[in-house]
Amino acid sequence: MEKVIALILAGGRVDELLCLTEKRPKSALPVFGIYRIIDFVLSNLMHMGINNVGVLSQYRPYALVRHIGTGEHWDFIGRKRGIRMLPPYRGFKASDWYKGTADAVYQNLSYIEEFKPQHILVASADHIYRMDYKPLLRFHTENNADATICFTKLKTKSTRFGYGVIAENGQLTHYLEKPESPPSDWVSMTVYCFKTEFLIDVLKSNVLENSHEFGHDIIPKIINHNRVFGFAFKEYWAYARTIETYFRTNMDLLNRKVNLSEWQIRTNLLERCAYFDRMPARISGNVTDAVVSEGCIVQGTVTNSILSPGVVVKAGTEISDSVIFHDTIIEKQAKLHKVICDKDSVIGEECVIGGFGEDVPSREFPDLLNSGITLLGRNSTIPAKTRIGANTTVYASAQLSSTHIEPGSTIR
Amino acid sequence: MLLAGGVGSRLNILARQRAKPAIPFSAIYRIIDFTMSNIANSSIDVVGVLTQYKPLSLMGHLNSGKPWDLFGRTRIVEILPPKTGEKISDWYKGTSDAIYQNLGFIQDYSPHLVLVVSGDHIYHMNYNELVAYHISKKADATICLIKVPSEDAHHFGIAQINNEGKIVQWVEKPEKPPSNLASMGIYLFNTDILTTTLQRVAKKGGVDFAKDVIPVMLRKNRVYGYALSSYWRDVGTIDAYWKTNMDILQKNTGLQIEKWHIKTNHSVKGEVGDRPSAYFGSHSEVSNSLIARGCIIEGHVHNSILSPGVKIHRGAVVSDSIIFHDTTIGEKSVIENCIIDKVVTIGNTVTIGQGKCVPNKKFPSHLYSGISIVGKKAVIPAHCKIGKNCIINPGITVEKKGMRSGTTI
Repeated sequence: MEKVIALILAGGRVDELLCLTEKRPKSALPVFGIYRIIDFVLSNLMHMGINNVGVLSQYRPYALVRHIGTGEHWDFIGRKRGIRMLPPYRGFKASDWYKGTADAVYQNLSYIEEFKPQHILVASADHIYRMDYKPLLRFHTENNADATICFTKLKTKSTRFGYGVIAENGQLTHYLEKPESPPSDWVSMTVYCFKTEFLIDVLKSNVLENSHEFGHDIIPKIINHNRVFGFAFKEYWAYARTIETYFRTNMDLLNRKVNLSEWQIRTNLLERCAYFDRMPARISGNVTDAVVSEGCIVQGTVTNSILSPGVVVKAGTEISDSVIFHDTIIEKQAKLHKVICDKDSVIGEECVIGGFGEDVPSREFPDLLNSGITLLGRNSTIPAKTRIGANTTVYASAQLSSTHIEPGSTIR
Repeated sequence: MLLAGGVGSRLNILARQRAKPAIPFSAIYRIIDFTMSNIANSSIDVVGVLTQYKPLSLMGHLNSGKPWDLFGRTRIVEILPPKTGEKISDWYKGTSDAIYQNLGFIQDYSPHLVLVVSGDHIYHMNYNELVAYHISKKADATICLIKVPSEDAHHFGIAQINNEGKIVQWVEKPEKPPSNLASMGIYLFNTDILTTTLQRVAKKGGVDFAKDVIPVMLRKNRVYGYALSSYWRDVGTIDAYWKTNMDILQKNTGLQIEKWHIKTNHSVKGEVGDRPSAYFGSHSEVSNSLIARGCIIEGHVHNSILSPGVKIHRGAVVSDSIIFHDTTIGEKSVIENCIIDKVVTIGNTVTIGQGKCVPNKKFPSHLYSGISIVGKKAVIPAHCKIGKNCIINPGITVEKKGMRSGTTI
């Protein structure tokens, strides 16, 4: 019998990140050069010394399956330690896609029963933070809580989170999922701790309803009748719910709000996403306030930017305030400003990407792309001398019909 | 059979705590990675690694062969250290003795051919081409040969071959070399010939391939030379080690680590987290350099090779140097022509590598071209001035204000 097992919610598909999550779940999105977002929760669990982890995934899980591998990179391997991918499966009666976060856990009750843990830690794979879950578990057991929900203070009010009100004794008195006017500054981190029997009972009664989300359906219901507590986490916590927040989170590494060496984050080093068989970076250009990964060749100028492994920046090219994913090649004399460029793209000579028309929001996604960022999807090929205005989205492998793309365009 | 016991004494303090094949090379590799990768890339599935001298860092690095995909039911890397026999404790007395003592390992797999390679060299080779040549010549043994500059030939075993490729003369480290075809330390043998010859040579007290085994085979067997003219470097001296490293920073030298698919072991023992990508601060200036993960660059770096985790503080200037893992260079320090081992702490405004080029007094044949070397975990306090051709031994904390060129602590 295990005291605690963890379940990671990694499956969600999100539209808000446009072409970046067209073909991967958000948890597999590259961040800080060599990591994927899920590495943060996996490393937190590794540091805690937990033995068994289940990963609930549904949307295009291939990138995740490959990334997690045997789990050895996070030390989840051994006779008593393991990590298991838990994809949806065909039930006795029908094919059962997960109908929500709570449903995903419900469909894997047999995984939980295999270990008979006293408590279950449920955590989303979509956030970037370093947290020791042990104080949370202590708080949870000391309060004899049925459920404990983690909260973090967020200054900017947003309608994308669940908000809670925590009483002085730690008890959660209110919880509102995605409210129009938030009742506090405390937002849910999507990190929950449950007593196992309690969780099983709650999930079994939720099955009969027609919505199956922890935030929307479970938590608001249980706070009135059960011992539900709020745990306040006061350190760095970042999210990538929109292009703008994903971009700002990346920039937090450059302004040293994130200290990766101190956090001791692990990733799958043998994957193409990380070092693989790459040489160290070869630098002969100007690189300031930047992170440059293995396999990069920089001959141009890079400032305030993050380059994932294998990026080539040729002479005369200037890259500023940008995030460039793996193995993208930027030819000579190009200019990139506030660009997020996905893997395997080629940007031709003398291209100008971003840096003009920053006040023109995306016509198709005005709420999602309006702060001057330009997005280039995976495998983009941008012909020489092309000019692309800010707030433009180029979807993966799209063909450009013109060498002048107005700001705010969408190209598929 | 990979001979990885090299002491590498001419590499001085770089080989003090590790075997020569385990010495770091080109920021993230070790010298043995080249041979290991050549073996793996030639689809050879079973490798015995003969270790003897300070094998610990080597054994950790090989990590049961996983990084080279030599891992699985039929793909095996086995470490073969010396062992106590029935009668005597047997240290390997030489290259052929090491193989002789492990004939049992070879018999376990009953191969037709045995490839004997050394883990000391930087090169790329597809051994299958050697095998095809060996078979086409119906050879009993084939020795790989490489053209070296005539003035260096006396360091090597030198062969002379006839039109057919048969070796007609063989001399070990000759004063007057009959040719400039040097042995690369790569031998391919028919297993039965190797077994009987080793048994015969061992009875007479022979222990070395070049000195004892090859001369016997030349008399009795068909021994061929396989001549190559590709990139091959013996990094057995400080100068050769430094120059070969620097080849990666120059164009068209022939050293092509990526193209050769050289693999290494990325995981580090004891490290809990993985090293993040290199960070370049607001005042960094870097030209023509190799910068590995985990480096933090606030100062200037030119024509240098930095292993993972090196920190260069603001105002420091590092040029023409090779710096191993997790070494820190303090503010405004000037480092020229140095090889600095792992976890060295260099304080602020230190200078190393300036002054007259006097050869090192203790080791004039090791250090004479101006390179200074600093051993693992040495500490050099602020304001210290250190000249050329200096040696600072591992773990030393320098207490003087300075060191003249050619001195050793």
